[in-house]
Amino acid sequence: MKSTKAWAALAVLALAVAGCGSGSGSQEPGKTTITFWDNNGGTRTPIYQELIKRFEAANPTIHVEYVGIPIASVQQKYDTAIAGGDTPDVGGVTTSYLANLVGQQALEPADDWLGKSAVNGKLAAPMIKSVRDTVTDGKLYLVPGTSNMDVVWYLKDKLPEPPATWDEFFTDTAELTKAPDQYGYTIRGGAGSIFQVLAEMYAYSGVTQFFDASGKSTVNDPKNVEYLTKLAAMYKKDTPEADVTNDFPKMVAAFGTGKIAMMHHNLGSYNDHVKAHGADKIGAFALPAGASGKRTIVANPVDGFAVFKGSEHKDAAWKFVEFLVSKESNSYWNQQTGQIPANTEAQGDSWVTGLPHLKTAVDVLNDPATAVVSPPYYLPQFSSITKADTEPLFQKVLLKQMSPQEFLDTMAQKLTDAQAEWKKAHGG
Amino acid sequence: MSTGVMARPRGAHATASGSRRRQGRDRGRVLRLYVPLGLYLLFTVVPFYWMLVFALRPSGSTTPVPWPITFEHFTTVWNDIGYAMFFRNSVIVGVWSLLATTVLAVMGGYALSRFRFRGRSLFMVVLLCTQFIPGAMLLIPLFSIFKSLGLINSLGSLILADTVFNLPLSIILMSGFITAVPYSVEEAAMVDGCTRLRAFLAVVLPQLRPGLIAVGSFAFIHTWNNFLFALMFVSRQDSFTIPVGLSYTIGEYSADFGALAAGGVVAAVPVVCVFAVIQRYLVHGISAGAVKG
Repeated sequence: MKSTKAWAALAVLALAVAGCGSGSGSQEPGKTTITFWDNNGGTRTPIYQELIKRFEAANPTIHVEYVGIPIASVQQKYDTAIAGGDTPDVGGVTTSYLANLVGQQALEPADDWLGKSAVNGKLAAPMIKSVRDTVTDGKLYLVPGTSNMDVVWYLKDKLPEPPATWDEFFTDTAELTKAPDQYGYTIRGGAGSIFQVLAEMYAYSGVTQFFDASGKSTVNDPKNVEYLTKLAAMYKKDTPEADVTNDFPKMVAAFGTGKIAMMHHNLGSYNDHVKAHGADKIGAFALPAGASGKRTIVANPVDGFAVFKGSEHKDAAWKFVEFLVSKESNSYWNQQTGQIPANTEAQGDSWVTGLPHLKTAVDVLNDPATAVVSPPYYLPQFSSITKADTEPLFQKVLLKQMSPQEFLDTMAQKLTDAQAEWKKAHGG
Repeated sequence: MSTGVMARPRGAHATASGSRRRQGRDRGRVLRLYVPLGLYLLFTVVPFYWMLVFALRPSGSTTPVPWPITFEHFTTVWNDIGYAMFFRNSVIVGVWSLLATTVLAVMGGYALSRFRFRGRSLFMVVLLCTQFIPGAMLLIPLFSIFKSLGLINSLGSLILADTVFNLPLSIILMSGFITAVPYSVEEAAMVDGCTRLRAFLAVVLPQLRPGLIAVGSFAFIHTWNNFLFALMFVSRQDSFTIPVGLSYTIGEYSADFGALAAGGVVAAVPVVCVFAVIQRYLVHGISAGAVKG
């Protein structure tokens, strides 16, 4: 009798556990429910909620279920979902991990849909090209929604006129450094350091390809080494000592204290700077052109939307993607986040032209004279090479435990090897 | 009748030297005990202080004290980010995991402590070995199992996964606590007519209070802080827990430090409260479990 009671209690417990919080499957009759995973959940959640509200009002038969995924774990979340066969209908994806998802055959190409869509021809060609270049078959697995560009943020009260050349940049940095705690510049020495260093080096050197014709990495080009040597010499002299562990939150927070005159990041941190200093005190300039005079930028990852192959409602999913990249939605989204719209009609909106830093970025990106260096996001090892493998080495460079030449030779070798391996695997 | 010089009472010298000795002892005690403890306290408290400063001072302020005080960050995390919902989910998962872990650990611990059976030692080793497997390695198999059971997107998957991960250590700990209670007491109860279950409930269980508290609190805190399972087994916005909510405050290009700190305070409050209530049992519990296991 007693054991019966105990088993009954356990059964109740198990049932209660199984039922906890489960509420999925609450489908409204006659409505198609699609799931959308935001790959940078949190601050962008209210923006998507507003857009979903607008979409559902325009498409009453479709319900969009929003899920915000924290940016730091989004790749792991996608990988687990793909392995477990439980992917969303639409997901936010960037070119940083697009090749990985395509490699797992998780995404549906959007070429046919886009060909018949009203937004066809209205999405920025460089972003479309960047997406196609990321995958081996050149298909459009990701519909671009936004892109970003590296800029140097500066405090206008410390630096009335931004530098136009690298020489001026180094001079300003030295002049703006004043003991005990005023610094001309801050270096990103922690997580995410390598992309910023690459952007600066290629802007300085004017080298326009990541690999030469023979497949050898250009990372250790003598002009790149020259720049890195100058940057390393600035550490602790014109920059805070703590820079060696700077990731972007620390760097943004340090810039927010008002003790640093210039900081290299991208357009995405604009709202943080405005919050800390006020819009009128913040300025931004594109990384200066090098001695060749040719402006060279390293392409930032393109962020957009992908329809997953496992979706049971692909047409509804595409309809939502199409809505997100339409002029109004794309303009609204990018205005809220302070980034560059992919929709070329939205790029002409007054809020873009009214923000000097954004207008600068759009002008630089759309300038035919600008050379765009495309990092090899398609290499499976690219992420590990530019993060786990070389970030600690860059810290050694700052701490004078490794020479810039040795550091760049090491990175170049790893990239060259990865490129050769990739070419071999793809019949190159 | 004046003596000219005031005579010192006999005991005065001894009292003075005793006082000096006491002062010396006190100084030594301060140097040996309070200075290191103070430094250690400073080391551990400063991060919490900074968390409070960031949580309570307005955005853009760089003052080292939270003045003027603002609760705007708490409003942001609670209302805008959705902490009210995440908090509720965390409490549900934490409490159920605590209950399930404690009940199952008592059952398993009793069996390991009171019964001698073939493979008992091997079983203990296997239990220990499970602690060496990182949760990330089991993500995909667990995901597949939960999917086939229909538990994906349910808090039940988190409760089950966390309970399973909490259990091995909890069983080992509980077995130590139960061994510390003499079997003869239980036997005496059985001689008086109790069944084994009745004897356990009446005689052993009341003596396991420190152990139950130690095991339960570990289970609760581990579950409360588990980010990986909470993100991977749930893909519904209304089923996420506090650690996922906390990670929302750091975006790709920006970080809301005020909200991050306020979120940290909200996440820490239950854990601090749990520790405040149980700390006297916990110290006893851990030492009893460790020594007598």
